Amino acid sequence: MEFELSLEQKDIQRAAYEFAQKEFDPDLILELDSHHQFPHSIWKKASQLGFIGVHYPEEFGGQGLGLFENLLIIESFCKVDSGIGSALSLVDLGSEILLEFASHEQKKRWLTPLAKGEQQLSIAFGESEDENDISSISTIVKERGDGYLINGKKRFVWNTDLANSFITLCKDDKERLMTCIIERETQGLEIHSINKIGLRMLSFGDIDLKEIFIPSENIIGEIGKAAKYVKHYFQNSSLRFLAQALGTAQGAFDRGLQYAKQRVQFGRKLIEFQVIRHKLAEMAIGVEVMRLLIYRLAIDCDQRKMDPKFFWITKQEVGRRLIEIVDEALQIFGGYGYMVEQPVEHYFRDTWAIISKLGTEEELKDSIANELFVPISKKK
Amino acid sequence: MFFELNDKQKNFQKKVREIYEKEVNPLVDEYEKKQTFPKQLFRILGDYHLLLVKCPKEYGGPGMDKISECILTEELNRISIGIGAGVMVHGGLATDPILRHGSEEMKRKYLPPAVRGEKIGAFALTEPDAGSDASGIRTAAIRQGDGYRLNGSKTFITNGTICDFVTVAAYTDPTKRGKGINLFVVEREDKGFSVVRKLEKLGNHSSDTAELAFDDCYIPKERMIGEKEGGGLEQLEDTLKSGRITYGARSTGVGQAAFEKIFSYVKETKRYGDYLARSQAIRFLLAEIAMNIEVMRYFTFRGAWLFDQGIATMKDASMVKLFCTETLQKILKKSMSIQKEAGLIDENPIQRLLRDGRLFKITEGTSEIQHIVIARELGL
Repeated sequence: MEFELSLEQKDIQRAAYEFAQKEFDPDLILELDSHHQFPHSIWKKASQLGFIGVHYPEEFGGQGLGLFENLLIIESFCKVDSGIGSALSLVDLGSEILLEFASHEQKKRWLTPLAKGEQQLSIAFGESEDENDISSISTIVKERGDGYLINGKKRFVWNTDLANSFITLCKDDKERLMTCIIERETQGLEIHSINKIGLRMLSFGDIDLKEIFIPSENIIGEIGKAAKYVKHYFQNSSLRFLAQALGTAQGAFDRGLQYAKQRVQFGRKLIEFQVIRHKLAEMAIGVEVMRLLIYRLAIDCDQRKMDPKFFWITKQEVGRRLIEIVDEALQIFGGYGYMVEQPVEHYFRDTWAIISKLGTEEELKDSIANELFVPISKKK
Repeated sequence: MFFELNDKQKNFQKKVREIYEKEVNPLVDEYEKKQTFPKQLFRILGDYHLLLVKCPKEYGGPGMDKISECILTEELNRISIGIGAGVMVHGGLATDPILRHGSEEMKRKYLPPAVRGEKIGAFALTEPDAGSDASGIRTAAIRQGDGYRLNGSKTFITNGTICDFVTVAAYTDPTKRGKGINLFVVEREDKGFSVVRKLEKLGNHSSDTAELAFDDCYIPKERMIGEKEGGGLEQLEDTLKSGRITYGARSTGVGQAAFEKIFSYVKETKRYGDYLARSQAIRFLLAEIAMNIEVMRYFTFRGAWLFDQGIATMKDASMVKLFCTETLQKILKKSMSIQKEAGLIDENPIQRLLRDGRLFKITEGTSEIQHIVIARELGL
């Protein structure tokens, strides 16, 4: 067992951090966040430097590294800014499915442009208020000619404004689930944008699919096996949100500490007050716990031996810690923390957007318990 | 000992709820979006006698007690925290010191128009370098002829952009740390007074917060509250005490609003084929929230009752603020997190409560300051 990053990993981490330090301009961050705008030029630069899709195979524009290395990049980005970091983290949402289940042709067509920074991808699975609940999927697909017709509605889709294509989930008349790619320009695709309080650089919304036609080469994998793809997606994509959580927590801690070292009240620096020191100590514990859990999970994922119980435990603990850390960071800033010009203000809002993707305490505990003990049968 | 509001108080509660539903509720969304206080509301609420409720009849007020003030504060904050903030500062911090320590002439000049909502008040103590540490303010009032020249800047001032007068704390004798402070009433037209800028915040968007500047601002000595130089912070003692109890009522109202929203949410929302309200964990959660609201409400009323009897200590008031504002945070965080992505939407009522209510732990004495006060008064 080793608990140290390799030299290569440290280099990646440092390069990502230095890039973010240089490019994530504080005034630009406030402007993009308040206008709900995506950091276009930063995304282009990041992809030119290879920060998008490091875990893709080289033939598809990646560097053949692991999810762990991708996580290190997202963490470093979010440490510098939760908003831009998360925006860059989610430009290729759904690539998890392409990497694992798409054909060579499909990867060439849809994966490579993601790494090059030419395109963005998103996922449109959920139909109720809960993306994970795929039991209620009612988007219907019918065969027509050399392709398929899709009708349905998808809720709470991320990156609706910029994704060039959406991987969606639907079922046929035999109740078989399937995943397919719908390109943005397809006729019948209607996007309804929704403004949200956190991660405002990323668009969000509902999508109506009305008589959408897709050619059969847009079907990913086999019809009837999509439940497995979806599960793979949820597990692997969680690493993005966990990495965002970790970077955001670290960034909030760093800012809180820096402020406590400079702010003077009652003739002393805040850092000289025991209660403030203990707050920061508790935050430091949280960041370390988060990092250990998340790093282990990422390494398990790369080694393809992920324990679902550990996955849920990680999400539960990370969510809880993130809320505490960011909340305390804001508290250390006092009134200033409540003002938009202090980054901790949007760290607070972004935190809730990140948390929303980790699952609620109740459902995660349900999952952990079901894994540990005999699942309870649902009373009707 | 009795634990019930009397008939008169119950009627008052019912009446104010109806008034706020009719007059305030329809304005909330619009002014949250505009990010400004609905100024016209001052006159409307003034007509109902709901601004300076504790102000005696001889100055035009209804002369009610602290319990009644808590009743209306709870009801108003149930509808809008931002609007609640503007109204609270006007009726509390801005005018209470005048009522308690002002000359007869000053009371006759400022109170009746404030009661009617014709003149709007603000209160300016906090400075960029002096928040929790009120004695650390630097604004100076230098004696000159028949008055004082004020120089300094104030920040995080509620009603700052819309006020007609502002009660300002300044040192008349900077050599006496904490003791050499006086309160002055500065009028909007006074030369040398200016609103530097409006501040953007995490929440409380329907309340105006501003940075103010006093640049050689001349104030005749009749507008100093009290006759002697010094003792301004001591004059604030009862006002702050009353204000801290008010935070109990604010928290109760916000908790109540959150409960009502989350109650319908869990009854209407299905996950994995079943209503959330059928989940045991969720039922326990709502039971706990309901219990905590009751505790907050009665703890607040006890504080208000002690205040009305003239026996409330600062410890009593700080305990009310600390307990209620912290309990509220737990309620809001849980209510927010069980909604997942649905909670992120701009129109979602709970996310607004979360952003708005977060300020309660910061203003009018942070939670840390309340701990300090309580520990000191315990005799430690």
